[in-house]
Amino acid sequence: MKIKTDQYAETARRELGNPNSRVFLNLLPAFLSVMRQAAMQSFPDPAAAHAMGGVIRAEALDRLPELLEQFERNATAAGTKVFWAWDGHAANGYILDLALKHGIGYVTKGKSMITEEIGLNDLLEENGIEVWETDLGEFIAQLLGRPPFHIVGPAVNVPVEEIRDLFMDRIGLEKPTTDPVELGLAARNFLRDKFHHMEMGITGVNMAVAETGTIINVENEGNIRFNKSSPRIQVSVMSLEKVVPTMMEAMHLLRLLCRNCTGQELGAYVSLDTGPKNPDEIDGPEELHVIILDNGRTRLYQDPNLREILRCMRCGGCLNVCPIYRRIGGYPYGWAYSGPMGQILNPLLLGLDRTRDLVQSCTLCHACRDACMTGIDHPGLLLYLRSKAAEGDPDLGASPESWPIAWFFKAFAHAAANPVLWRTTVRLVRSLFNRTAREGRVTKAPGPLAAWLESRDFPAMPEKTFHERWADLERKG
Amino acid sequence: MEDSARQEILDRLRQAPTQAVPERLDLPPLSERSQDREALIETFSRKLAAQTGVCHRVPDTASALEMLARVLEEEGVRQAMAATDEYLASLNLPDWGREHGFDIGTPRDYPDRAAYKTAVFDRVQAGITGADFIVAESGTLALIHDRDQARLISLAPIVHVVLAPVDRVVPAYEDVMESAFGHGRRPSHISLITGPSMTADIQATPFKGMHGPRRLIVILVERGQAVAPAKGGPPQQ
Repeated sequence: MKIKTDQYAETARRELGNPNSRVFLNLLPAFLSVMRQAAMQSFPDPAAAHAMGGVIRAEALDRLPELLEQFERNATAAGTKVFWAWDGHAANGYILDLALKHGIGYVTKGKSMITEEIGLNDLLEENGIEVWETDLGEFIAQLLGRPPFHIVGPAVNVPVEEIRDLFMDRIGLEKPTTDPVELGLAARNFLRDKFHHMEMGITGVNMAVAETGTIINVENEGNIRFNKSSPRIQVSVMSLEKVVPTMMEAMHLLRLLCRNCTGQELGAYVSLDTGPKNPDEIDGPEELHVIILDNGRTRLYQDPNLREILRCMRCGGCLNVCPIYRRIGGYPYGWAYSGPMGQILNPLLLGLDRTRDLVQSCTLCHACRDACMTGIDHPGLLLYLRSKAAEGDPDLGASPESWPIAWFFKAFAHAAANPVLWRTTVRLVRSLFNRTAREGRVTKAPGPLAAWLESRDFPAMPEKTFHERWADLERKG
Repeated sequence: MEDSARQEILDRLRQAPTQAVPERLDLPPLSERSQDREALIETFSRKLAAQTGVCHRVPDTASALEMLARVLEEEGVRQAMAATDEYLASLNLPDWGREHGFDIGTPRDYPDRAAYKTAVFDRVQAGITGADFIVAESGTLALIHDRDQARLISLAPIVHVVLAPVDRVVPAYEDVMESAFGHGRRPSHISLITGPSMTADIQATPFKGMHGPRRLIVILVERGQAVAPAKGGPPQQ
């Protein structure tokens, strides 16, 4: 997937004028948010159940190295082949080698954001291996070559006419139709043949259970189950933070995940793998490969503030409540992750220089934090990232601020810390600043302030400062 | 190279500064924990129905088979693939099918994986399975897969029919997992099934049967004969 995080503003502007996106952004996130809230009420104590999600994930991160080793031990004992990948390059290389070794012609995939993060599809296709996304929305997005619009409905905004033409062109839809169900059936029939004859299936992982060496996936369509049942080889890619200590804790997170994602009590299908199939089973994978991927996460883990984002389980709850996501949709975020969690993950994985707008584009309303099933404080993290960007922290891929801005703030800090200098500056700037004031408001200013005032007014500076008025009062006695 | 990645990742994680962890809370038990068997069954069928699943409750094995014939007839099924888990094996569905005009096979009829896959994908209109647990909490069927509970039977055909003794009802997922993973057991694959395959990926229009079954029909049998315990209980000696 091409990274377009640097085109945030222009893509957002375009999406604001896209009627197809508007229809779904006005309905879907609000609908999912209401569903989420209703579903959470089925817990005897919804607030405690919600808070427990954060506790479990925080404890898991605290014990991460120990849990990963425990997971590896138990998974390996059950016959799973565990591969540790330092980065996307290593993970992709492992999967490609495996496919070439077994002479695989095509692979099918369950929806997984992690393989989008590492660009697996491109590498396999460059090497002559066909890749078929099998989640309906991902399948459409793949054929269109677009990033996901929404974490749950990656192509929910695409008009039926466009899907009709796409399917007639690419998958041999014969009778033109704009009925979503008919179109879905066409995709079913096309992918069914792929499922039948597949030899290698690739999935992500929603959770990995250390205690048992089990991986868990949640879905509604059944495509992931096909990827785990039909082929001889199953490869499941997990980022290293997905591990949880026990099966009982995984079950609680499962409840939270489904409720927060789609407002369901449980996805239609949850599948748990502990090793490959037994020799006497007729279906299921003969080889189960689990790739534990770092790709920059141990680096984030070093910073106790940033570590918090690793609690994320990709439920999408934060997208649905975000006032900005609800205006612009998923495209402007420009990469695998969108919404508030994407505004933090994309900069941390790609570097701040390529993602400046993502870090800035937040009203700090805190709706995402309140919705987060694992208690991530997104606005707090965004403020932290803004400060890192301003500092020009090279560890986070930020170069120093441009010299006029850096100089301005240095001068400001200096003036603000020195009373005499501050009062003199105020007196000097006041008449200049107030020159364009109308009815006590400044609406226009030259230079770098112009953009800031495009959508805001600034109150005119008063005739006298507090200190000046105080001095006047004292004089009067 | 792989070992070095493993070592490097673990080393870096161990070197990182530690961080305070929020305090644990007491969670009140789920309401299903205080339900009696009747209430659990009621909860199960209500939640299954919410996902368009159909639940029939029948008093005994004879009426279960009657119901099965009716369901297959209604769904237009002539060929079906049946699992061979304890309960279904006790019903001897292939013979029963021959007497009642249905062609019911099992995975064992096929010489190899390829032939079985062709049958389960292309030949049959229904898959018939048991269920190791019936979870009230969310109207969920838990299938613990093994040689007698093949994975594709409940997935590839367009209709999925479940026949299971009613005493396999449990309140919550934890009951399934305690039993499935108890005594050091490691089942290779477990499916939790809550309704038919579904999607809403085109224009948010929901429909069933995206990749898997469009119809899910559960027949709960009150006094299923020859009921072996589900794959939980104490380990076999």
